[in-house]
Amino acid sequence: MNHSEAAGLMATEKYLLDELPPDLREQFEEHLFDCHECALDVRAASVFLEQGKAVLANPAPTPAPTRNNDLGWFAWMRPAFAVPAFAALLLVIGYQNLVTYPALKSAVSQNQAPQILTAAPLLSSATRGPNAPALTIRQGEPFLLPLDIVPQSDASSYRIELHNPAGGVQWSLVVSSEAARNSLPLWAPGVSEAGQYEVAVVAVNPKGVDVSTARYAFALQFAKGVNPEP
Amino acid sequence: MQFHAFDSLYLEQLRAGDFRTQEHFVSYFSELIRLKLSKRLRSRAEVDDARQETFARVLTALRRDNGVRQPERLGAFVNSVCNNVLLEYYRSDSQAPQADAEEVQANLPDPALSAVDIIANREMQSEVRHILDQLPEKDRSLIKAIFLDERDKDEVCLDLGVDREYLRVLLHRAKKSFKSLYLKRMARELRQE
Repeated sequence: MNHSEAAGLMATEKYLLDELPPDLREQFEEHLFDCHECALDVRAASVFLEQGKAVLANPAPTPAPTRNNDLGWFAWMRPAFAVPAFAALLLVIGYQNLVTYPALKSAVSQNQAPQILTAAPLLSSATRGPNAPALTIRQGEPFLLPLDIVPQSDASSYRIELHNPAGGVQWSLVVSSEAARNSLPLWAPGVSEAGQYEVAVVAVNPKGVDVSTARYAFALQFAKGVNPEP
Repeated sequence: MQFHAFDSLYLEQLRAGDFRTQEHFVSYFSELIRLKLSKRLRSRAEVDDARQETFARVLTALRRDNGVRQPERLGAFVNSVCNNVLLEYYRSDSQAPQADAEEVQANLPDPALSAVDIIANREMQSEVRHILDQLPEKDRSLIKAIFLDERDKDEVCLDLGVDREYLRVLLHRAKKSFKSLYLKRMARELRQE
């Protein structure tokens, strides 16, 4: 037997699997002891099988699940996560108890108590002089906007906007044409900035198009020497 | 792959009792002889005895002037000596080793594993484990049933729904995967020499 014959016959595999008949086995062994290539093949396969037996007889132990894995969903409660998380929670709770809740309580009690609101003297920009009427309140104090809207025949609703000194819209409110037939005393939330304010009343037709705008300006001042209530 | 040419220098060193050459000689033929013997002898002890006897006789013959005339046929010579040892085993269960053979045996390299061998074995075992882990469960079961549990091959193939050709190809592929590491190990051993 030569090397090509041995390779074609898969003699190495058959030899190790005891599949060669005695005469072929003798021939292959004669070749095997004389052929470095086949000797290497047989030795490598034999060592693989010997080591494989040891491996299969002693399968690698499955790593024991760690305690953290046992916890499953609660794994996040291990100290590495739980301690900083609880510290952060304590900070949040402390801030809420010391700052947020008292402020909210005060705001709620303020809203529940009866108040006298200062009304802004609204005059149409078209009729007022160069100096807009002034409104003096405490900073953040709500005030009243006594609004009388001049009805527009083609308006189906009105959009009321409060423009702040910077020209931006502080807030806006939509009222129906029916509601606009009566006087509208608007409660305006307090503001943090004094200056020239303007109330714009925009008439909107049924198609949603702005058809006309009436403007009412006033100067808002903060009362000096009086601390705003929290 | 030829790690060492079996030439006149190699034979000369074997005759002179050069330890490294003897170590290579034993390492090279040991597994081949073991496989050959294990296919014919009944027990592991008999295989070990016959293997030692074969080495002893080969080395004894080499020390005679005209023991081996063709160095390149050293492998064939070892095989023929092994055949003779086997014939003697067939004739008689017990046999008395010759005096000079005993003497040669005493000079053979110690088969005990060195620390380097143990580390190399672990490395090989790790590689074998890696190769086995990559096989499908069915293939692992096939190898385990045949080589570890030593079950009947036809029965195992039938159980797992494969034929003998499948088994041969599986062994061929596993051998191919492992061979590169085996070659590296051989090369390292040569460097250490």
